[in-house]
Amino acid sequence: MRIALLELRRRPGRFVTATIILTLIALLLLFLGGLLDGLINTSTAALRAQRGDLIVYSSTSESSFVRSRIDPSLRQTVAAVPGVTEVGGIGVAQLGARVPGNGPRDLADVALFGYEIPPTAVDEPPADGEVIADEVLKSDGVEQGMVLELGPARTPVTVVGFTTDTSFNGQGSLWGSAATWRDVQNANRPDAAVADGVFQSLVVVADGSVAPGKLAADIDAATAGATDTLTITAAIDAIPGVTEQRGVFNQILGVTVLIAVVVVALFFALLTVERTGLYGVLKAIGGRSRTLFGGLVLQAVVVTLIAAAIGGGLALLLDVAIPPGALPFDLSVGRIVLSVLLLLFAAVIGCAFSLRRVLRVDPASAIGSAS
Amino acid sequence: MFLALKEMNRAKARFGGLMAAVGLLVFLILFQQTLQNGLIDAFVGGIEKQSAPVLVYSVDGQRTLQSSVITPELQAAVEAVPEIGRSAPIGIGTFSTTTDGALSSATLFAYTEVGLGSPTTLAEGRLPEAAGEAVASTTGGEIAYAVGDTLVIEPGGEELTVVGLAEEAALFATSTMYVTWPTYESAVASSNPDARAPLPSVLGIEPAAGVTAEGAVAAVNAASLDADALTRQQAADETPGVAQIKQSFQIIFLLYGLVVPFVTGLFFLIITFQKAGSLTLLHAIGAPSKRLVAALLVQVVAVIGVGLAIGIALYAPVANADIGGIALRFQTTAVIGWSVLLLVLGVLSALLSAKRVLAIDPIDAMHGQGLGT
Repeated sequence: MRIALLELRRRPGRFVTATIILTLIALLLLFLGGLLDGLINTSTAALRAQRGDLIVYSSTSESSFVRSRIDPSLRQTVAAVPGVTEVGGIGVAQLGARVPGNGPRDLADVALFGYEIPPTAVDEPPADGEVIADEVLKSDGVEQGMVLELGPARTPVTVVGFTTDTSFNGQGSLWGSAATWRDVQNANRPDAAVADGVFQSLVVVADGSVAPGKLAADIDAATAGATDTLTITAAIDAIPGVTEQRGVFNQILGVTVLIAVVVVALFFALLTVERTGLYGVLKAIGGRSRTLFGGLVLQAVVVTLIAAAIGGGLALLLDVAIPPGALPFDLSVGRIVLSVLLLLFAAVIGCAFSLRRVLRVDPASAIGSAS
Repeated sequence: MFLALKEMNRAKARFGGLMAAVGLLVFLILFQQTLQNGLIDAFVGGIEKQSAPVLVYSVDGQRTLQSSVITPELQAAVEAVPEIGRSAPIGIGTFSTTTDGALSSATLFAYTEVGLGSPTTLAEGRLPEAAGEAVASTTGGEIAYAVGDTLVIEPGGEELTVVGLAEEAALFATSTMYVTWPTYESAVASSNPDARAPLPSVLGIEPAAGVTAEGAVAAVNAASLDADALTRQQAADETPGVAQIKQSFQIIFLLYGLVVPFVTGLFFLIITFQKAGSLTLLHAIGAPSKRLVAALLVQVVAVIGVGLAIGIALYAPVANADIGGIALRFQTTAVIGWSVLLLVLGVLSALLSAKRVLAIDPIDAMHGQGLGT
């Protein structure tokens, strides 16, 4: 082990290229992972923030807020289902917002939610005409106390506070009362107008006496199939594209890890071949195969950790350098840890391919062959 | 040449591993290139394949077809611009539909005048004439519609019959139906009983005689701060998300593109060091440096060539897959382009090894030294 570390210290040049390649692979893993997390988070944060247990859509909506419509009678039916504690309406209008001080064509993309049950980190619905804004909108110049004009009808809403991590479909969210949302929707989208009492969906809080999955089925049964009730997790996965994005990106990440395995395997297999004579000498003087292979794994782990550290640093720099809203890139600690663990796994697995070669080294080969 | 191939044959695992690594990288690059093009086609193919040379959005729409609403005032202001020859409303909306009892989604692209929003890639059948008729895009969504198929707008039950097919004219990765305005109005009413008459999403514009599309765009944008006129191609390229997709994939391609020459270069550098003694000996018995370098390059080309073949073989079966309504297509141009680029990068990466080979001094054979010493 000590020799392995000494070699790394004394002859770092030998490991530079492998480190560069693994750094690139680490950067790829982190960039792809950050992109996946960014895409998913900016699309689903508003749903993740919901305090309820279930989301109720109309049955033909395909889990789309915009295509869902729940009228007051359907809401009453849902509220009467045993196990339901509280029901709150929710609706969203996606519009451009004119921000004071910005140019006439420099609008902010917003998703205005009308809600009754406050999501996590969002207060009770503010007064009509007032909204709580997601912090991401600060990059568009939105400030507390500002009056934003929404949509072509330029419906005014006043920002009275900020919340965080509630984006929807890549847009910064605004959270207002049901009446505010209905006014904005009806003024700006005649084709998607909503009557009084009508919501796009319902957020359901369960009393815990019935499992969420069972309660969802009970609600759909009570409404005779007029609703499609999903747990929050299922509702997130049902957002168009989320499952597909996750699947495709994870496959790409998997193949990238496989490439890391092959690169490490190749590099250390070549190093092992180069050191066959040396290993023969070490074995002849009592070195055990286990120790020699351990040294190889240690070198792979150290090289990988250095590469991961450089790759992680570059990814963090990238995160800082990307202007807000330019790319949906979200680099979390969890993603960094997962990527490093995957790389370490790849390094150890890659090294394992050299095990047979190390075991096969014959101490007798030391006589006259090692130079 | 003979020795180069013989060496590869003897060290199958070593060279095979490198070929597998290059093959996987090539597969990933090609697959992601295809995914990028498929994503863009599925989301904005319909904009490129509609007939209006200029599209006018409302500024509030932020260049998103579904978010744009043209008010009567804005429409009047745009139509008063002298650089405009013809103008007609276009309506876009995504609806829940059932086809053979299965629930799905379809985007309706409603136009009022042929040449101002009608599909340009009609491959089969005819354009819609009556209410309830539609031309379906051959891509987008998970259902492959044929002429004569029907779908029902939910929950109202409005029925659409497919009377034609347009090639690769999808929007938002959904089944896309080109319909006339009355069909769109019925669909809106059918899906939402509270809805009022829909306003146009965008205006399709044909510039006046002698005016270019760019000229019409500039004139409309100068006439109203609420109008956001774009040429057809600009509208496709500047749809939110398209530029982000391109930027993200460019970074990914750059990183993968760098890994290939690095892996190849590292491999051959190590190999060259390992066989330094043999190379010195070969040089000492008369093998010219040129031949030794040629042998190295033969190995590089063989490794990259086989790697490309592996990558393309892995890519071919998934190149025509359908991922969540995104139809992928085998990209011949991408295959050729990346093959040439990676081959060149691979050969360049071996230059360091070639330099080492050229530096061999035959005299070292006399005292058993080679490159590595």
